[in-house]
Amino acid sequence: MIKIKFPKLKTLDNVKLHLDALVVGAKEAIKPGTITIEYPRERRLLPDSFRGYVLFSPENCISCFQCSFVCPANAIGMKLAANNRYYPTIDYTKCIFCHFCVDSCPGAALRPTKVHDVVYKNMNEMITSTEEMVKPPKIVREDGYTVEYVIDGVKLILRRIKEKDNLIPEFKPHEKVKEYSACVMPESCLACGICVSSCPSEAINLSVKEKEKELKIDKERCTGCGICVKECPVQILSLVRE
Amino acid sequence: MVDLGLLGLTMQHFIDNMVSIPLIQPLIDYLLGIPVIGFVVAIILWRPMFALLIFPGLATLMTVLLFIIWFERKLTARIQWRRGPLEVLRWAEGIIQALADGLRYFFQEVIVHRDAHRPYFLQFPILIFIPVLLPLLFIPVGNIVGIRTPYALPITVAIVSLIPVFIVAIGWASNSRFAYIGTVREAFMYFAYEIPFILAVVSMILVYGTADMVTIVEKQSIPGIILNPIAALVFFISTVMATSRLPFEIPEADQEIAFGPFVEYSGIMFGLVMTIAYEKMYILSLLMSVLFLGGGNGPTIPLLGDLSAVIWMFIKTMVVMVALSFLRSIYARIRLDQALRISWTAMLQISLLAVAIGVVLNLANVV
Repeated sequence: MIKIKFPKLKTLDNVKLHLDALVVGAKEAIKPGTITIEYPRERRLLPDSFRGYVLFSPENCISCFQCSFVCPANAIGMKLAANNRYYPTIDYTKCIFCHFCVDSCPGAALRPTKVHDVVYKNMNEMITSTEEMVKPPKIVREDGYTVEYVIDGVKLILRRIKEKDNLIPEFKPHEKVKEYSACVMPESCLACGICVSSCPSEAINLSVKEKEKELKIDKERCTGCGICVKECPVQILSLVRE
Repeated sequence: MVDLGLLGLTMQHFIDNMVSIPLIQPLIDYLLGIPVIGFVVAIILWRPMFALLIFPGLATLMTVLLFIIWFERKLTARIQWRRGPLEVLRWAEGIIQALADGLRYFFQEVIVHRDAHRPYFLQFPILIFIPVLLPLLFIPVGNIVGIRTPYALPITVAIVSLIPVFIVAIGWASNSRFAYIGTVREAFMYFAYEIPFILAVVSMILVYGTADMVTIVEKQSIPGIILNPIAALVFFISTVMATSRLPFEIPEADQEIAFGPFVEYSGIMFGLVMTIAYEKMYILSLLMSVLFLGGGNGPTIPLLGDLSAVIWMFIKTMVVMVALSFLRSIYARIRLDQALRISWTAMLQISLLAVAIGVVLNLANVV
């Protein structure tokens, strides 16, 4: 057993240590290094890539279901809209704010915001419909200052800027690569028609004459969503680039 | 003139011994002319009653209590990089937080648990105000003093020494584990600080050659802290121990034994027992400013008359109280055995040294 002995200090050293503590206390009492952010009245400056509330722009959506497939919490459901296309809805009771959906979206239809303080009255309200996802949520802004943590040498200090932070940052979508679906092995086609019925933009046309079957994919209409690729039972469809 | 009838006291009796404040003298004269209000004003401004009700008595005690609880929290928070109480009266940094807490305590249920000794459990938090408030009668502020007696200092010390007895009784009546632990700690701390504390006071009695506090204040052309700094140090550390401030917050120790003797209290009863330490701190700070800082001595402000002594005394007391609160933010709590070792070795030795200095100064007849 190792016994740690109480350090023996000389009386003068002891007095000096007490005085040091008193001086440090007095210094902090006069000029404290408080780093508390008074949250509703001031907000922390968040990075533009902050993973908050997800916004949706339907004009960019190609109904590829990618967000729904990738969601690890199974929070995204696809709802059939009036124009016969499927659009995502987010259940915020399940969402873990990983933003895999935003990253995986090929058309940049989903985009991140810095909004992290939306209040819901009940659990049903938290299942956000597509219409609600289009516009930013209603939140009460009480903040007059934006606060930023700055490392000044070895000290962490707060810098206060007297302006409101823009919670919906400008989103720079990645460059789109035009992809479209193509049949790579037409001889294996079963002519089952699943791809035709699964296509949300009605770009696939199947004609069967006797033993001749022809799968026509309209390049103009095809959005490259890849649903037919996933649905094809013999896996002969593939997304190809121009 | 209104006759009180009882004891043959007349209004003139009070007016003869009234606090003189030249600044508001016309207002006082006007109020004295009104039949009933005049009598009330005369009684309130009668010097002993002024000492009891205004300063250093009830009104100041309550104000200081409300202030120092807030101030202690705020200062500690500031030093520890937090914000402290803020939301109640935001523009004044939450200064009425203690008042808000008190109101909340007032409307909260007082739970008396089954095992408690019900009569004592409910009586002692109220009875403890006798030893808390009585010393205020003997503490002089200039020429305002409740009771002037040559034995003022021994009486004050004796009454202050009664407070731990009541706390031990509270712990006994609570009848719970934590309360017992806290009570035993309180008793140990009582033995630890009492002897150095009394020796420090005795050394000051020797220095001034009298125990009459009015004379003590009059004799302090040089403040006592310069005459006998060691006694001042011992008195200060004993005050820290007696009021269970950090680093000697051993009996209450809210992180270990959840306020020790007061653990079973709730509602306004907890409010009462929680403030005991602060009230004791106020009395001992007053005593310290009388013994070591020259009491109400200071440059006289002619416009305020008797109130100038009040103001000087208040400032000195508040400085002592702020110094006591300041310790909370920089020290950790030490163990009971460490505290006992400090008090029975170092403190006892330097308090004996303080007595020796007192004897030398007494024989040399310095003051």
